[in-house]
Amino acid sequence: MTLSPRQWLRAFFGALEALCSRAFTPAWNPLLQLGSIGWFFFWIVAVSGIYLYVFFDTGITRAYDTIETLTHAQPWAGGVMRSLHRYASDGLVAIALTHLLREFALDQMRGKRWFAWITGLPLLVLIYVSGITGYWLVWDVMAQYVAVVTGELLDVLPLFGEPISRNFVNESSLSSRFFTLMSFIHIAAPLLLLLFMWIHIHRHTAARIQPARGLSLLVLGSLLALSIAVPAVSQARADLDMVPATVGLDWFYLPVYPLVQQWGGATAWQLLGGMLLLLGLMPWLPPKSAPPVAKVSLLNCNGCGRCVADCPFGALSLEPRSDWQNYAVEAVVNADRCLSCGLCVGACPTATPFRSASMFTAGIELPQLPLASLREQLKKSCAALSGDDRLVVFACEPAGDLSGELRRNSAVAQMPCIGMLPPSCIDFVFSRRLADGVVIAGCTANGCYQRFGQCWTEERIAGQRDPWLRARVPRERIALSWAVDLRAFRSGLAALPPLRLSGRDTGKPGLLLAGPRWPMPVRAVGMALLLGVLAGVTAVFATEPAWRQLEPQEAVMRLSIRHATATKIECKPLTPRQMADLKPNMRRPVDCPRERWPVYVELERGGELLYRGTHPPSGLWNDGAATVFRTFRVPAGPQSIVVRMRDSGRESGFDQVRSGTIDLEPGQNFVIEFRSGKGFIWEDMS
Amino acid sequence: MNLIAWREEFTIGLPDVDHEHRELIAMINALHESLGPDADAAQIVEALGEIHARIAAHFALEEREMRQLKYDSIAEHKDDHERLLDDILDIIDTVESPAAYDPEALGERLSRWFSDHFRTHDLRLHRWLAGRH
Repeated sequence: MTLSPRQWLRAFFGALEALCSRAFTPAWNPLLQLGSIGWFFFWIVAVSGIYLYVFFDTGITRAYDTIETLTHAQPWAGGVMRSLHRYASDGLVAIALTHLLREFALDQMRGKRWFAWITGLPLLVLIYVSGITGYWLVWDVMAQYVAVVTGELLDVLPLFGEPISRNFVNESSLSSRFFTLMSFIHIAAPLLLLLFMWIHIHRHTAARIQPARGLSLLVLGSLLALSIAVPAVSQARADLDMVPATVGLDWFYLPVYPLVQQWGGATAWQLLGGMLLLLGLMPWLPPKSAPPVAKVSLLNCNGCGRCVADCPFGALSLEPRSDWQNYAVEAVVNADRCLSCGLCVGACPTATPFRSASMFTAGIELPQLPLASLREQLKKSCAALSGDDRLVVFACEPAGDLSGELRRNSAVAQMPCIGMLPPSCIDFVFSRRLADGVVIAGCTANGCYQRFGQCWTEERIAGQRDPWLRARVPRERIALSWAVDLRAFRSGLAALPPLRLSGRDTGKPGLLLAGPRWPMPVRAVGMALLLGVLAGVTAVFATEPAWRQLEPQEAVMRLSIRHATATKIECKPLTPRQMADLKPNMRRPVDCPRERWPVYVELERGGELLYRGTHPPSGLWNDGAATVFRTFRVPAGPQSIVVRMRDSGRESGFDQVRSGTIDLEPGQNFVIEFRSGKGFIWEDMS
Repeated sequence: MNLIAWREEFTIGLPDVDHEHRELIAMINALHESLGPDADAAQIVEALGEIHARIAAHFALEEREMRQLKYDSIAEHKDDHERLLDDILDIIDTVESPAAYDPEALGERLSRWFSDHFRTHDLRLHRWLAGRH
């Protein structure tokens, strides 16, 4: 049997989840609460960010200085806060991507589940925008790298009148206001992120946005330990006159940046856009099949609202009555949100198998699995059981296919989610003496595929959520199983002693499997190992491996031109006659067509042509300045250069030429600029 | 003759709930009519099952309205509901075992069952509702 990539991924997550459940216990299993850990990281980043902002000063030199002071003058506060800020943001990226992969693996974004998936995509973008602008603010060499490459990336888009890369060619072209803009974006993007996080969970009733408290403490503790062991520090101060040959990169945030340099901004955009588009289309890609949605039977619905309270996806509401009955409201299913999990059926007070065969329809039912047929099936398969250790196993479908052999004298009834089981069905088994014990099996402890199946079932049995399981049902004859996998379930079931009345009823059902877990010392080691590995990975990839953008004996040459050429046609005065022919509001004494000449430029180095190109003027009417911004990696050392430009209507020859000999240091950022009236200028090396 | 006759004091002042009270009384009366020495136990069990489902739904609705109105004795009232629902199931269990089945006693038990809840919990709710206006 061959597995699709999704099935491989699913198997991988399943194994990892089982491992984590053993180490962390299901309640603390981080894989089952990725979203809420994401929220937790967000709050850590927000709180530490507010602290850092108090001390931060915008400005080309001040930015770097204030952060250095903060890091080294108060390592116990500012330093730790800064490290937390960095590592928690890295954690946020890691968590968000894992969350996305897991939802993909479990196929939880298909069809009607599109909403959380689609609203998750802007979250990814906003996390990256927040992180990248944050690195900018430090203004070390990585910030410089980020600034320059972001410039290249953005300049591909037809957004800006002139290349924003020109801001970063040297210190004089960079304004301190730019840092104000960056810190504004660095605050605005996370606020938008928070808004989208709120929208993201909108369709999940009672969405979990806090991880289990113990897990939160563990995560915070690991982050603190990491911050103290490997404090986040700045790299060398940014210097726009030099291009650092190697830069330590945060690979959580910047994996695309080296690609931009290698393949160019346009390719990078196509790659990113293509990926986002593919992700965005995923919910609707085939094969897409949705089972029929829950159906309300008005004859059996008095509008009690229990199904509305229990729906995990907000697919039910109470609306004014549409029939003749004397009730105010009725339950209405929103077919666009209903995932056919059946949790509403388990909540309905009329869903009791004690009803007469002819009238047995609950107020709300799944058309593909009516309770009446479930009951008939159950009766039939129980009739085949014998002895005094007969077992009924109620299980959900995601728990696995149980139709094969099960060790015991048992009858199996499966449904989309264990939360669909009305508690009265358990009562029914004992009342009608169909079996001696009942096993209730769900998919994963604390990780219900339909969110609340396990939770609602436990609460209904405990009399904490409607409908209550009848008080006199002997709880000692019920066993719950929230196994981590099918194998664990089978072996747990095989080892289960007969469920008999013992007379020592504790009032609670037995736990067959809460998901097996290791003994405490093993678990502690497991947790420490896992968190340690995660922290180590975070620390390493936050700066390593360093990215080499220049060979040791290379320098960078940039050609930066912004030039408004002469207009193509000279202004000429209009005769009175010509003026009279114009409409009154269009009359003018001089006719000035605005279109300008393009710029043609050539750059030669050591007698070889390095670049040649024609650049049209900007603007809708071709009346703006033409801009040229090109970057070249060149060998360091003495060399001759010639730059020529044609900016008029002449057919051949050049209007501006400058040649000279320069001596480039390794890593130097050598800029050739053009200014009207001054011609080509560069730093004089003589 | 009807086992339970509708009386004005059964009205508690919530239209949905009052409507269901009338229906339930009708159902119980119908069941009582059918009870006799030669009554079919299986039929009675089915009828009781239907009554149980209807009453469960009725209680669910009443509980919702009590919660919405922030009724002060909701916990006690709810506990009595659960006790009553369990009682009906007990009745069903006895009907199912022929040895313990006695139509006379069953009618008596049903009637007492319903009227007791009316006289205590529903009456208290009625007074509380009247006091709010």
